[in-house]
Amino acid sequence: MFYVSVFFQYMGQYMKTKLQYRADLFVEFISDLMFQAVNLIFILVIFGHTSLLHGWTRDEMIFIYGFFLVPFALFGAFFNIWDFNERYIVRGELDRVLTRPVHSLFQIVLERMELESLLGGVTGIIIMMYAGSRLHLELHWYDLFVFILFVVGGMLVYAGVFISLATVSFWSDARSSIMPMMYNISNYGRYPIDIYNRVIRYVLTWVLPFAFVGVYPSAYFLGKKEWYIYSFLTPVVGIVFFVLAVFLWNAGVKRYRGAGN
Amino acid sequence: MVNAIEVEKLRKEFKSYSSRSGLMGAFRDLFTRNYKTIRAVNDISFTVKQGEMVGYIGENGAGKSTTIKMLTGILTPTSGKVLVNGMNPHKERETFVQTIGVVFGQRSQLWWDIAVQESFRLLKKVYRVSDQDYKEHMGHVIETLDIGPLLDKPVRKLSLGQRMRCELAAALIHNPPLLFLDEPTIGLDVLVKLKIREFLKEINQKYNTTILLTTHDISDIEALCERVIMLDEGKIIYDGSLQHLKENWGEGKQIQFTFSKEVTDGELGALTSDLQVEWRKGEQANSWVAHVAPASISDVINRVVTRYEIQDINIHEIATEEIIRNIYEEGAVHG
Amino acid sequence: MDKYMEMIRIRFLMMLAYRTNYYTGILIYCINIGAYYFLWSAIYSGKSSIQGMSIEQMTTYVAVSWMARAFYFNNIDREIAMEIKEGKVATELIRPYSYLGMKTMQGLGEGIFRLLFLSLPGVVVTALLFPLHFSMNITTWMYFILSITLSFIINSELNLLAGVVTFFTLNNEGLLRAKRFIIDLFSGLILPISFYPDWAQQAMKYFPFQGISYIPSMIFTESFQGQAIINGLMFQLIWSVILLIPIQVLWKLAKKQLVIQGG
Repeated sequence: MFYVSVFFQYMGQYMKTKLQYRADLFVEFISDLMFQAVNLIFILVIFGHTSLLHGWTRDEMIFIYGFFLVPFALFGAFFNIWDFNERYIVRGELDRVLTRPVHSLFQIVLERMELESLLGGVTGIIIMMYAGSRLHLELHWYDLFVFILFVVGGMLVYAGVFISLATVSFWSDARSSIMPMMYNISNYGRYPIDIYNRVIRYVLTWVLPFAFVGVYPSAYFLGKKEWYIYSFLTPVVGIVFFVLAVFLWNAGVKRYRGAGN
Repeated sequence: MVNAIEVEKLRKEFKSYSSRSGLMGAFRDLFTRNYKTIRAVNDISFTVKQGEMVGYIGENGAGKSTTIKMLTGILTPTSGKVLVNGMNPHKERETFVQTIGVVFGQRSQLWWDIAVQESFRLLKKVYRVSDQDYKEHMGHVIETLDIGPLLDKPVRKLSLGQRMRCELAAALIHNPPLLFLDEPTIGLDVLVKLKIREFLKEINQKYNTTILLTTHDISDIEALCERVIMLDEGKIIYDGSLQHLKENWGEGKQIQFTFSKEVTDGELGALTSDLQVEWRKGEQANSWVAHVAPASISDVINRVVTRYEIQDINIHEIATEEIIRNIYEEGAVHG
Repeated sequence: MDKYMEMIRIRFLMMLAYRTNYYTGILIYCINIGAYYFLWSAIYSGKSSIQGMSIEQMTTYVAVSWMARAFYFNNIDREIAMEIKEGKVATELIRPYSYLGMKTMQGLGEGIFRLLFLSLPGVVVTALLFPLHFSMNITTWMYFILSITLSFIINSELNLLAGVVTFFTLNNEGLLRAKRFIIDLFSGLILPISFYPDWAQQAMKYFPFQGISYIPSMIFTESFQGQAIINGLMFQLIWSVILLIPIQVLWKLAKKQLVIQGG
């Protein structure tokens, strides 16, 4: 309960700060939209040259992309701590965080919150509805709950991977340029997993399980029965990776060396 | 609770590697590295009683900040025992930090973009301070520090002195029984320094708040602390009252003579060879400073004045700053 | 000139110091190329060529684009924006060198490092795993080297431009992000320009972006032949000269404003 009320307190402050810089907000929306457009354009251009991608149609691919945007937006809003090393380790901001009576990761999540990313989720839902209507998907009343479950699962997968990456800074003093590269890899989870060979498929399923943010959960809504098992593993994998990341974090904080002064 | 801080054989080691020089060296570093262990804090022990104000001093890299960070739960000790407010700081971090306040002079606790009072409100929530406690306690703090007019300004628009006062207020929102101040007066002008010192004294008296303070400015310590802990290369070299330090090290006087003609070191030395005195060249032309033991003061003055023509003569107490510099030069405290 | 060489060397040493980055960098590069290889295989799925490029040419195109990117890519736009924001540019201005020149040299140091220690090993490893097509023709390599040098120049100029522009705008992050996506999309990094619909290809002729990735990669995969190579290089050369103008103008304005406002 305490954490919920702290959350809302931070959120209130966040809104106030953001409203001071309204022009920024607008530019950020636009650049987010562009980012989403890049990937959509890729899909559209590709399907200008082929009609099926390993048995998946253009509209199915677009649907997967739309789905992916929703957990990704949630991740972007709350767990996007790619500059953790720079900000908290190198500049020593973690010192301050550690002198406050709230879990350190929770504080950092609140401080780095970027609620404007949520707009990407709206874009995602619109894209899904567009693709879904062209595919004449049948939906049941419970699909809404399945959707929420999968979205949260996907978000936790992302959060788990990126928090784990951030904890690397506790062990190594490397400035992490791994993060941007990881965004590239995360894109591959949006394509039909069976186009890849075994190694990459394995990596995208169990090591960097980005397939659980795109193709696996979407397969459920697209009625691809052969993938249902994986679809329903989404929340499980999400929780496992997230819990693992929090463990790593707690172990890492113990090793924190402080910024040089 | 009698002891606010208990530290026993506390040690912190850092592993670091040295880089080889040049391009080839850097390339070799890719595969193997030379590691070495640095002991930043080396088996120190001390206790601080509730309500004490203690100055924690040492040169850069002596291990002051590392100690403070272990006491506040930021760093995990390599070995040894730390008990602060009856708790182990890094083990029970979240409950523990509720009982301390921390100010890092060089790092802001406040949120850059939002108004000061918004930061306070957020911290109030974080530290679970009730509305009534907040009003009562903070009302007083805000008034004493004279920051009322600053509350609705964003932190980025404050001057350093204004910001520092707000930082101090922020660290006290939950009225902690123990306050850590790391270089609280760094870069501040004299008036702000005085105000902050006054304030610290007041809360120490009013709430019996324990204060541990690191600083480069010895006058802070003279103004506030009866006790100092002095650190050198990770070890405590002095722990005791400032008064004691002065009596043993600051005994005697400094006498500055300005001669009308040039005088050499050798002549002065020969003149006072049987007395307890040390001569040093002064800053002005033809000026010499004698560091004299109390018993020899009149003899020294007498002999010099009769032998040479004097333009000016000054007698000073030995400054604490000077005492501390002497101690570091010798690397230990005797007596 | 010496001081600029020294700057390249220092950057080089800085990059070497971070070895975790180095190891993971190669690994991630391989995964990237691998994933693209399978993605393109699926897209081709039996077709022998699309837009005149075979599957081997396509995978080589992707591998080379990413390798070249490691060379031309740098963050000097962000660094400039940050130094402007934190007011460090004023102190940089009193140093005895050209600020923008120094930034470019830092970028070059970083680029050469990544080319030698990240891209080359990465390409060797991926070449063992996937069928890539490397030309044996020495002139192709010469053209390619010339071309990626020009890529570096164009991309750095765009970065300088974006960095300096942040001096006049309030929001840096959005602007820089938008610039990055435009470059990713229109430079030919993700898709060869020839895959786009005709009208888009026509429009892109009027922008410098394809000079960054598309042209060197097409030269390397020998998808460009004869006159097309010369045209491509001319395109790059002309843009690298044209872009100097807005940079100089804006930088002069920025300096003027800096003197008046005091950063």
